[in-house]
Amino acid sequence: MEARHWRILGALALLASSLAGCAIRSADTIVIGSKNFPEQALLGDILAQHLEAHTHLRVERRFYLAGSYICHQALLAGRIDAYVEYTGTALTAILHDPIESDPSAVFARVQAEYKRRFGLDVMPSLGFDNTFAIVIRGEDARRLNLKTLSEAAKYAPQWRAGFGYEFMERPDGYAGLARAYGLQFAAQPRILDLGLLYRALLDKQMDVVAGNSTDGLLAARDMVILEDDKHYFPPYEAVPIVRDDTLARHPEARAAIAELAGKISDAEMQKMNYAVAGEGRDASDVAREFLHAKGLD
Amino acid sequence: MNVMDYFLHHPGEILGATLEHVELVAVAMLIAVAVGVPLGILVARRPWLSKPIVGSANVAETIPSLALLGFLLTVPWLGDRAGRLAVAALALYALLPIIRNTAAGIAGVDPAVREAARGMGMTERQILFQVELPLSLSTVLAGIRVATVLTIGIATIAAAVGAGGLGEYIFRGLAMVNNSLILAGAIPAAILALGADFLLSILERRLRPAR
Amino acid sequence: MTAEPAAHPIIEFRNASYQLPDGATLLDSVSMTIARGETLVLLGRSGAGKTTALKLINRLLEPTSGEILVEGRATTAWNSIELRRHIGYVIQEAGLFPHYTVVQNVSLIPRLERWPEERIRPRIEELLLLVGLDSGNFSQRYPHELSGGQRQRVGLARALAADPPILLMDEPFGALDPLTRADVRREFSALQQRLKKTIVLVTHDTSEALLLGSRIALTESGRLKGIYSPREFLHSSQPIASAYTAQLHALEEFERGQ
Repeated sequence: MEARHWRILGALALLASSLAGCAIRSADTIVIGSKNFPEQALLGDILAQHLEAHTHLRVERRFYLAGSYICHQALLAGRIDAYVEYTGTALTAILHDPIESDPSAVFARVQAEYKRRFGLDVMPSLGFDNTFAIVIRGEDARRLNLKTLSEAAKYAPQWRAGFGYEFMERPDGYAGLARAYGLQFAAQPRILDLGLLYRALLDKQMDVVAGNSTDGLLAARDMVILEDDKHYFPPYEAVPIVRDDTLARHPEARAAIAELAGKISDAEMQKMNYAVAGEGRDASDVAREFLHAKGLD
Repeated sequence: MNVMDYFLHHPGEILGATLEHVELVAVAMLIAVAVGVPLGILVARRPWLSKPIVGSANVAETIPSLALLGFLLTVPWLGDRAGRLAVAALALYALLPIIRNTAAGIAGVDPAVREAARGMGMTERQILFQVELPLSLSTVLAGIRVATVLTIGIATIAAAVGAGGLGEYIFRGLAMVNNSLILAGAIPAAILALGADFLLSILERRLRPAR
Repeated sequence: MTAEPAAHPIIEFRNASYQLPDGATLLDSVSMTIARGETLVLLGRSGAGKTTALKLINRLLEPTSGEILVEGRATTAWNSIELRRHIGYVIQEAGLFPHYTVVQNVSLIPRLERWPEERIRPRIEELLLLVGLDSGNFSQRYPHELSGGQRQRVGLARALAADPPILLMDEPFGALDPLTRADVRREFSALQQRLKKTIVLVTHDTSEALLLGSRIALTESGRLKGIYSPREFLHSSQPIASAYTAQLHALEEFERGQ
C-alpha cells in the first residue's frame, strides 16, 4: 500500500536523523553546562577555557540551564558532559539523602552514589564552599557583638527576615535552620528575589537575609556572615561532575579538570562574582583573567 | 550579537538542539499513532466506547501542558528521566486529535461500500486494511498533522523539566536576558512547526481519495 | 401457493423469522425453497421484509428463529466468509470502492482468493465484455468517473467475478433513471440465459418482476403472501397481487380517462 510505505519511510527518516543528531556532536566535542546564575557561568567558563587551552577538544557551552534538576537530566541524557554542582545540593536535592554536615563524609557519599546510580564522576572540589550565608549589616554585628548564629538567635524576634525562594523551599533551607537554632521571627520571613536581598538589607528594609557565601556584594559592602557554629548547613563544595563515558573517551579531560582542584578560594570566588554581577563585566573575560593570574593558561 | 550572527557562530549547537527537539516529537508521535489509531478504529466500531476513550483523551488535553509535565515528574520511573516524562506527556497530548480523526474517518466511510465489502466475503481485517483505512487515510493524516504541530509546540515547554530541545534556548535566553538566544530557540521551533504543517498537508491532499 | 419447486433446492427458508432487539418483526415465519438455476424475485413494498430475507441468505443477518439452508447447510453452520464468497452480492448503490479502478474493483474477490495473475486478467476482460463495458477506456477509470448505469454494470461484474453459483441482487436497478433502467434490465435479461445462476432479486417494480423472474415471491409486512409464476401473478385475484398488476394498467387507465 503506497501510503503505508510513506509512513514507514517518514518514521525511519526521523529516527535516522535523531541518531545522526547524536553523532553530529562529534567525537572531539565536549559540552559544559551550568546553572542559571553568574557564579555558575564563571565556573563553567573556567572549566571550558582550561579544557580548550590544555586539550585538543572543542568545547561547547550550554550555560544558564534552569537549575540542578535540569542540569542533572541533561547530564544523564548526555546532552552535556559536565557541570559544576555543589555537594550539599547533590546530596539533598538529587540523591534525596538527609542533611549531613561533615564535608568529607558528604563528598564521599555523593561521589559513591553518583557513580553507582548514575555513572557520573564527581571530581575533587574546586576549593571553595558556596554554602548559605546568613548575613546581617556590619554595624549591627559590631553593635550587638554578634559573630555566630547562636548568638544572633535571641535577636530574631526583633528582626525582619528576607530569604530567597529556593532557601524557603529546600529541605536544607529555612525550615531546618529555624529548628536547629530555635529561630523565631516576629513575622513569616518574606520571600524576595535573590538580586534584591542585599539591597533590602543595606536599605534597612530587612535585618537579616540569606545569601550565599560567595556572593560578590559581600566583598564590596559592609556586611557580615554569621558563623554556622552548630554546623547546620551542609557543605556546598563546588565539584565538577562529569559523565564516566566522557572521561573514558577523553582521559586528557580528566587530567585537565583535576588541575583545577583547590584553586579557587572563597574570597577569590566572591571577587569574581562581584566583577560580573556588581561591575557588569563579561564572565568569560573574568574567567580568563583568573586563569592567567593563577598561571593555569 | 544578533540572532543571525548567533546562527552563523553556533550552527552545530542549534542543529543539535533541533534534532533533540525532533527526536522528542518523533518518538511521542510514533507512540501516539501506534496507540491512537487502533483506539480510533475501536471507537468507530463500538460507538459506546467513544465516551470513555475520547473522554479520557480530552481530559489529558485539557490539563495545561506545564501542569501535566510537572505531574508526570512525580510518577516513578517516568519522572526519573526528563526525556521519558516529556515523551509521555507529548504522546498523551497527541492522542486526542488522532483518536478523534481516525474514528471520524472510519465512521465516514460510505456505508454502502462497507456493506458491499462485507457481503462479498471480506473479513473484518481485510475490510479495515483494504477499504476503511485507505479511504479514511486523508482524515487520519489530518489528525496526525494537527497532533504533530501541537507536539512541536508543547515540546518547547518540555525544556522546563529538563528534556532539552529548542525550548532550552528560549529558557536560557530568558534567564540571561539575551534576545538572540531566545530567538535562536524560537525561530527554529516555529520553522519546524510550519514546515511539518506544510509537508503533512501536502501529503494529506495527495492521499485524499477522488470523490 | 402454486408453482412447485425442484427436489434439491439450493436455498431453503424453514420457518425463518427475524426480529429486531426492540421487538419489531421484519420477517415472520417464512418458508420457501429456491431451485438451482431459477430466478426468484422478492416483490414487495418498502419494509415488506424482502431485503431482510435476502440478507439472511448470505448471513449478513442471522435468523432469530428458524433457519436458512444454502446448499443443504444452515447458514449458521457455514463459515460466513466462505458462504459469502460462494454468493455474488449486488446492491442498489453498487458500493464500488472509490479508491479502486474498475479493474481493481472487479478483480477484488479473485485477488482475495489468490487467483494467479494469468487467470485474473482474461477473466476481467471476459466480465467487462459480459456487462458491456469492454471498450478499452473503462478499465482504468475510477467509480466517480462513471455514470450510474456504468457503476451498476461494474457492480454486477464484480459480483460475478469468482463465478459464484448464487447471485443476490437488492434493487440493483433502483438508483437508475427509467430509460437507463430499462436498458440495463433488458441486457440483464439477455444475460440470465448465459449465466445459468440461481438468482434472488429484490424489487418493488412489477414489470421488473414479471420480466426477470422465473417465479415471484410476494411479501407484505414480513410475511410471505404467495409464490407465483409470472403468468399466475398477472392473472391472480389475490388482493395484493392484483394491486401490483393494476399498476401495470395505470397508463391505460390514464388514456381511458382522457
